[in-house]
Amino acid sequence: MVRVRKLKPMEVLSKDAREYIHLASLELLEKMGVKVYSKEALKILEESGAKVEREKQMAYIPSYLVEESLKKTPKYVKLYARNSKYDVRLDGNHICCATDGTGLWTIDLDTGERRPSTKSDIAKSALIFNALEDADLYYPLVTPLDVPKHAHVLHEFDAAINNLEKHFISGATYLREEAAYLIKMASTVVGGVEELRKKPIISAVACMMSPLILPLHETDAALEFSKYGIPVVTMTMPLLGATGPITPAGSILIGNAQILAINTVIQMKYPGSPVFYSSYSMSMEMKTGAFAVSFPEADLVAAGHIQMARHYGMPSYAGGNISSAKLPDEQAAYEKALSGLLTVLVGGDVCGTIGLLENYTVLSYEQLLIDYEMYRMMLKIAEGIDVNEDTLALDTIYKVGPEGHFMAEKHTLKHAKDVWTPLITDPRPFETWKKAGGKSVVEIAREKVKEILTTHKPEPLDKDVKRELEKILKEGEENIPH
Amino acid sequence: MSEKGAIFLELENSIKNYDKEAAIEAAKKALKMGLDPIEVIEEGLAKGLREVGTRYENGEIFMVELVAAAEAMKSAMKILEPEILKRKSERKVLGKVVLGTVAGDIHDIGKNIVASLLIAAGFEVYDLGTDVPVEKFIEKAKEVKADVIGASALLTTTMLVQKDLAEAIKRSGLDVKYIIGGAAVSPQWAEEIGAAYAQDASSAVEVIKNLIKQR
Repeated sequence: MVRVRKLKPMEVLSKDAREYIHLASLELLEKMGVKVYSKEALKILEESGAKVEREKQMAYIPSYLVEESLKKTPKYVKLYARNSKYDVRLDGNHICCATDGTGLWTIDLDTGERRPSTKSDIAKSALIFNALEDADLYYPLVTPLDVPKHAHVLHEFDAAINNLEKHFISGATYLREEAAYLIKMASTVVGGVEELRKKPIISAVACMMSPLILPLHETDAALEFSKYGIPVVTMTMPLLGATGPITPAGSILIGNAQILAINTVIQMKYPGSPVFYSSYSMSMEMKTGAFAVSFPEADLVAAGHIQMARHYGMPSYAGGNISSAKLPDEQAAYEKALSGLLTVLVGGDVCGTIGLLENYTVLSYEQLLIDYEMYRMMLKIAEGIDVNEDTLALDTIYKVGPEGHFMAEKHTLKHAKDVWTPLITDPRPFETWKKAGGKSVVEIAREKVKEILTTHKPEPLDKDVKRELEKILKEGEENIPH
Repeated sequence: MSEKGAIFLELENSIKNYDKEAAIEAAKKALKMGLDPIEVIEEGLAKGLREVGTRYENGEIFMVELVAAAEAMKSAMKILEPEILKRKSERKVLGKVVLGTVAGDIHDIGKNIVASLLIAAGFEVYDLGTDVPVEKFIEKAKEVKADVIGASALLTTTMLVQKDLAEAIKRSGLDVKYIIGGAAVSPQWAEEIGAAYAQDASSAVEVIKNLIKQR
């Protein structure tokens, strides 16, 4: 369920800093230019007034075009779901929870061993996600390695939608043809292309490349999705000190310029297209060069990008519960708690990455629930503190007086249901906990996952729709170039 | 429904609604009608509380709701007590428990929760409050023929009083079980002074039930 944020967002960038980053982004796009591998995007930019060097595949985008595009960008996005109960509206004042992708490995629920991800991992994680009340946007956490690679996006959708009544975000689509088939499948679920345009039950990620590259397939796929009114999650992933400047400010700048560039392409061709501002930056461990998604600098870049998104009035999808830990262990816990809370505190619309470990590459079912639990705690914090006659409880305090207690008071009973309630967190004292089996939170989460897998029954798809989806999937497998 | 049936239902509902004022009103009405106070408890108040207790055990309601129900019951009992004494009748209960926070200590929230849970479980509870001297525990236990004495201590300094009480119980020759609890207390400490131990309120009820069985 999407919750209203009451806490005033914290700032990691002042208004002046945001203006500075914006102006520097405009300058880079106009003077230095951006590499555009997509012929269509290059054509759109040229026809809109950008200076283009075709043989170099470079575009120099004038500031007025970028500004005009920002004006055409919707200030809020409504994301629809197969079951309208789960529709999500993002407008800067709400907050919702998502998974992210895309991993290749899964820590097996039964053996505890790491193994290649399968289509059944998508089905299972989607079903679990569907059962979690405050989880909103499902993104396949892993890519199935047991299906034809060129049609993986279709298999992901197929596995998920049979178990999911919520909004679906498609991970990286590498081919326009893949996008076309995915749109066909999503249309089948809602009853036609026009229905899908009215109520897009899917969004799609378009991952750009740093520094300042609009890649061929992802850009073309983004345009294909926009053509059908599907929200596009335009994503930047600067690696500090490698594909982006080593300083957080510099990487915020380069990522921001990138988002503005792809947004300009989309808005010039399909004005008013819903676009997300998405950022998954990474740090490097300086001694070895190892990627680290959740070092403080990477967290700061994500926080900065969230603020830039708010600055433009675009919905953000950045940060979240990220970690480079290999197991659902203490490192996972502290990295995820810090990055997730920062995302929520700076005003992120979407808090993502629940369930993934080791730099977005490994799915852990136990971690999925642990992260969800953390997210629910953050939500409560984001609700902030209401101060009014009722919440101050002055009358009740008088009534109880010194030495009394509040347990049986009407005020207590009235508000008891508002108090945060754990799903898997065990606050009980040692002896009681020991008697109940002395389980770690990972074990408790595992049991809960197994319980959900056996008890949760999502609303099934219509039989005809199911059959039609299978048909399109087969067609896709045959016809998508491979 | 008979007039009697109606008043029993009113009593039962007052507990189920955690409504202290309604419970007191209904108890007064029942006395005016000349009803047997023991019947008023069993057919009305206790019936409601048992149901609330079951709902709590099933995880359907919050702990504060159970406490509120027990508090409502306690308030209505105060109205009925003089009549019970007058008639020299006695209520059948699971057992009688004398509770208190030991001398020097005024922390009582945990002890209050234990008291509520015990009442809900069907015990008769004599809550002596806080800062209770050793002699007062003994006196009360003698007076009401208690089955169990429970002493709470939150501070490492006051938990020593729990030992004094253990010795006092031995000296008194009372046939009574002894249980201790509180944040400062450990199972080791309980063993050392020869007392039963519970780490939290719900386990306290279980332990006390077992102590009663041993009698």
